[in-house]
Amino acid sequence: MLESREADLNARPPRSRFSHIADVLNLFRISDFGFRIFAVGLVLLLVACDNDPNPPPYHKTRADGSPWAVRYAALPGDPKALDPQFAYDVTAQRALEPVYDRLLDYHPMKTDPFELIPGMLEEIPKREDHADGKVSYLCKLKRNIPFHDDPCFPGGKGREVVAGDVFYAFQRITDPKVESPFYAPLSQNVVGMEEARAAATAKTGKFDYATPIAGFEVIDSHTFRVHLKGSYPQLLYWFALHTCSPMAREAVEYYDGLKHDGEVRPSIKFHTVGHGPFRMKTYVEKLHIRYERIEGYRTNVFPSDGFPPEKAEWLRQFAGKPLPLYDELRLAILPETIPAFVLGRQGYMDGITANKDAFAAVMSISRELTPKYRERGMSLELSGTPSTFFMSFNMEDPVVGKNPKLRQALSRAYDSLTYCEIFYSGVAPVSEQLLPRGLFGYDPNYKNPNGYDFEKAKQLLAEAGYPNGRDAKTGQQLELTLEEPVSSNEQRQRAEYQQRAFEALGIKIKVNENTHARVVERLERGSYQIGSGTGWMADYPDAENYFFLFYSKNFPPAGANYCRYSRPEFDRTYEKMAVMENGPERLALIQRMNEMLAEDCPVIFEFSKAYYVVTPPWGKWTHNHPMMEGSFNKYHYVDPVLRARLRREWNRPVLWPLFALGALIAAGLAYAIRWNRKQNA
Amino acid sequence: MSAIFNHWLTQNALVIGSFALVFFLLRAGARNERWQRAWVRLKCDRTGLIALGIICVYLLVGALEMLRVPNGGGPTRSIIDVLTASIAPEKTYSAPLADELLASPLHEKTVGRHLLGTDVLGKDVFVETLKACRTALIIGGLTTAIYIPLGALLGILAGYFRRWVDDVIQYIYSTLASIPEILLLVAILLVLGKGLGTMALALGITGWVGLCRLIRGETMRQSERPYIAAARALGQTHWKIVIHHLLPNVMHLVLISAVLGFSNIVLAEAILSYLGVGAPVGTASWGAMIDSGRTELSRDPFVWWNISAATVALFGLVLALNLLGDALRRAFDPKRG
Amino acid sequence: MLSYLVRRLLYAVPILFGVILITFFLDNVMMTPNEKAGRVLGNKAVGKTREEWIRNRGLDLPMPTQFVRYVKKTVTLDFGTSWQTGREVRKIFLNGAGPSLLITVPGFFAAFTASLALALFQVFVRDSPLDRGLTIATVALMSIPTMVYVIFGQAVIALGLSYFPAYGFSYGGFGMVRFLLLPVAIFIMINLGYNTRLYRAIFLEEIQQDYVRTALAKGLSGTRILTVHVFKNGLIALITLVVAQLPKLVLGSLLIESLFGIPGLGNVLVQAIQNADQPVVMASVILGSVLYITGLILTDICYALADPRIRLS
Repeated sequence: MLESREADLNARPPRSRFSHIADVLNLFRISDFGFRIFAVGLVLLLVACDNDPNPPPYHKTRADGSPWAVRYAALPGDPKALDPQFAYDVTAQRALEPVYDRLLDYHPMKTDPFELIPGMLEEIPKREDHADGKVSYLCKLKRNIPFHDDPCFPGGKGREVVAGDVFYAFQRITDPKVESPFYAPLSQNVVGMEEARAAATAKTGKFDYATPIAGFEVIDSHTFRVHLKGSYPQLLYWFALHTCSPMAREAVEYYDGLKHDGEVRPSIKFHTVGHGPFRMKTYVEKLHIRYERIEGYRTNVFPSDGFPPEKAEWLRQFAGKPLPLYDELRLAILPETIPAFVLGRQGYMDGITANKDAFAAVMSISRELTPKYRERGMSLELSGTPSTFFMSFNMEDPVVGKNPKLRQALSRAYDSLTYCEIFYSGVAPVSEQLLPRGLFGYDPNYKNPNGYDFEKAKQLLAEAGYPNGRDAKTGQQLELTLEEPVSSNEQRQRAEYQQRAFEALGIKIKVNENTHARVVERLERGSYQIGSGTGWMADYPDAENYFFLFYSKNFPPAGANYCRYSRPEFDRTYEKMAVMENGPERLALIQRMNEMLAEDCPVIFEFSKAYYVVTPPWGKWTHNHPMMEGSFNKYHYVDPVLRARLRREWNRPVLWPLFALGALIAAGLAYAIRWNRKQNA
Repeated sequence: MSAIFNHWLTQNALVIGSFALVFFLLRAGARNERWQRAWVRLKCDRTGLIALGIICVYLLVGALEMLRVPNGGGPTRSIIDVLTASIAPEKTYSAPLADELLASPLHEKTVGRHLLGTDVLGKDVFVETLKACRTALIIGGLTTAIYIPLGALLGILAGYFRRWVDDVIQYIYSTLASIPEILLLVAILLVLGKGLGTMALALGITGWVGLCRLIRGETMRQSERPYIAAARALGQTHWKIVIHHLLPNVMHLVLISAVLGFSNIVLAEAILSYLGVGAPVGTASWGAMIDSGRTELSRDPFVWWNISAATVALFGLVLALNLLGDALRRAFDPKRG
Repeated sequence: MLSYLVRRLLYAVPILFGVILITFFLDNVMMTPNEKAGRVLGNKAVGKTREEWIRNRGLDLPMPTQFVRYVKKTVTLDFGTSWQTGREVRKIFLNGAGPSLLITVPGFFAAFTASLALALFQVFVRDSPLDRGLTIATVALMSIPTMVYVIFGQAVIALGLSYFPAYGFSYGGFGMVRFLLLPVAIFIMINLGYNTRLYRAIFLEEIQQDYVRTALAKGLSGTRILTVHVFKNGLIALITLVVAQLPKLVLGSLLIESLFGIPGLGNVLVQAIQNADQPVVMASVILGSVLYITGLILTDICYALADPRIRLS
């Protein structure tokens, strides 16, 4: 059977029968269609030879004929919602803040410490102390701030923003259907919010918007007063967040996500009707959000003080000018950091932020911009986010929770500086204390008493009862479990670094890898020993927002005290400190709390986030403000003429490889023809 | 229990045992006349032999990393660890054969020079590349060990018994095949936790469908052959027919699929690394090295050695496997050269 | 024919039920309701906010009740809104299918044509050094991980040579083409090796057929036999193989889409899985299985059309 098959094989016709290569080419002529497609493809290829990823701008020139200026920036993902009373993540903040102005704003250039300036309010509200311990703030809105034109208003013309719109925003926070995450902190402090929620939903279960809130008093069309149960200076910081932005009731009711006259209206969750410097014009999911400036925006102007000295002269030209300084904003949705970076190098993205591996791409060994970028006239600006990252110990764990010496030993064995040098090119500062720079109470001279010192760590470990990592009594090697969120390669490397750092002590570290959500869940349930990847980004720049992480009433699920740290003295000090205005007395309490944390060592401090912004020559001013992720956009500047010229210069395609490829294919064909001829001969 | 399992002697015994098992299975297969003829043909196939040689080198390197030796009182080390003990780790990146660290603020001299440089944590890339052989072989081997018996057995059963057996098996694999593979992989890995074993299990559960379908078809064709009818007429039991007649006649397809499937598994590991469900922390893996290359290439000066080393190593193994698979197919079925 | 289709569709019902059951099971063991809430709302929303979120979505109900609701929703094709982004799932899929098809359809047909040409060329020069070289080259193309293709493409072709944008997408218009070329080229490269090898084997098998020998005996030119008869018969065998892959093109290419930032369905699925976005995952699974079953039916029909001896019954 098999033999006969081989005979078949031998009986195959001699190859010379397949005689002319031209016949094969005929094959492709069988369909002219194929050739046409090929030709069209070739033309497309030649025409499409352009690496500009940005869509054409809305207009070429402004009404007065001057060139139209566009700023291109990036968002790390789609915002979860664009509803100011619901959204609570940085991405959403970046996306919706250009559209919604806030009652108060941060001064764009004063970051150490942060300073509030009036936004939609005429001035920063004055605190009024009452005899019964209650506190209230009297607020006055600026006059003649219109909502953006939108079909939800009569005649499509935006009406003026009034105090009732702020009240409406507070009602929406109270409405359980909105699922506002701001209800918890605000209702604890504003008089009557809890009662209003109960009363308004009592009858039908649906929130009745006719219900008043006792703590929110509308005095006249532009004046209102907020009553607090006690001292709560942090309220002003909430005013500086989109949470308390005035909302138009017409808009919420108009954009209900239902079908009207055969057309589905978007829900207010994804449609913005704001009063800020920009209008959101196009939003394509997973692609981009595009904004256009509002003509005649008057609420805020460019500041005339607080300029950083090295740019003061250049910035002075903008002082008092109307905002924004350019016409169009495009936020590209780029979940990956590297593409943003590549686009920035090509000049298609302004103010790219460099982090991790990208640090190494822009910085030379002497921490200057690499020549590649310097030649292009770019410059670096350092920017920090008020944040502190740390590893948490489970204080209820029988091994690490009950042994402060062991925790201190682990903390001293962890080299945060090398970590920052390896993973953040030394740009991110090592955290020495709970509070990050820029907040009241941060002490630049404070050194972490549990900072890296390997010899001391070994000594402490012995004192803790584990000389050389082995139990003094049983001789067993100490084994600890480290919870690590690992969903990318970077996190994988970080986990390995941390594992090795602790294992240098002679103990064994079992790494428990999970997704971030699962790690957080384990931390919340308290079923862990050491948790990595925890940290806190400031919601507002106040010490209370950090120390509450160790307040014993904030055990999960009520709060984020993942360490389950509980010390009555700390709780008492915290309660006093939280409601206090900044001053020497508060500072003393903060110092005392730092001491307690150092004694008990519930966390290992790692670093604060910091990054570089690479500024293109046409931007010059891309400095960012960490507390105003989205609203800072109005202060940026773009020179469209310079950009157009430089972009063309930087992106000339290199053509020789195409010719080389063509030559290679031709050579192959020639070889085939020759070989075929030889066979035929 | 786990103490015994984690003991180095048990682990070595497992490694040697599995190598012996594969060898024994191949020997058992080689008794078949058809396999012997194929072997004769394979011996004349230069490409196939070279590929086989390359695979043996990979197997050797992998085995060296799998076998563990005790290390005083500390954790056990692999033979590669012992052989490369003289290569000192650095703090972070250094270029091939450079004497200076790469990371900008450090700017320090290295402890030694490294043939292929070092990675972000200062590990020698050459050593890591060798070590990752083990990861690839373990994932590939375990997955194969899971899906080959499953697919082959179910395929034969479906093809031989037909009717309701066929219906049930077809139902199972149609259902599995219609769920996007990636969802199954990620879900299984999230539920069972990360590890080489669970990765293999996840890949195995999703991987047997193709083989099952192939074997089912071949069995159906074989069942119609006269020798099966003859066996039935002689009153042989179903079990005997399956084991003695059908299995030997489809086994070559299984072998070819196993070799080609192995290469797909090695490639799949790279994708899993990208999705964040790759090899566990501390395990060298080509997939992870390639994935880290995404960011490393944008550094300045760019770090090319990590991704290149991993790509070349992975490419070599997958290419050799594919070529061997082709050679085997030619050897077993010369008509389809 | 009609009865065949009806039977086939009836057969699809238990498969879909199995798919729903498995997905429901995986969805529930993958993440607890609390984890899902944490994923969607963020870590800072704790306590009451999460409880409310869980209650609003009925995740605190007993499992059987949840399953019945799940099946009901699927049967009525009411996938609701995405948990992660709050958008209608139907719309997400309609928006995502376009970009996916823009990559896969041209990529698929170009890869098909190119592989066909290469395979024929190899058959034409078979057993020459060029053939052997091309065989190894096609195997080599298959042996490079997709990631490496993409990284290389972005680093060298997009960034180094400035031919195409390294990342991004645009809807509609002529400007869209430049975003597609590189991903499509990579899609072709990924499929080229495997396809060529497969097609070559099919053509070689075709050449062994009796009719080729008969034709040669009758004195027809070898080239003519190859270009007309072998090509035609081989092509039919090919198309029956290939047609099963067609429906799956809608789902797009996972790695290419997420690495190039193309808002297609592959990208949607990856993000939905990572974010535990139950409604989106569920809908993609159902879509996936429907497409798979369609592929099976198409293959059967193709076989019947190609071979008159097979009848659909």
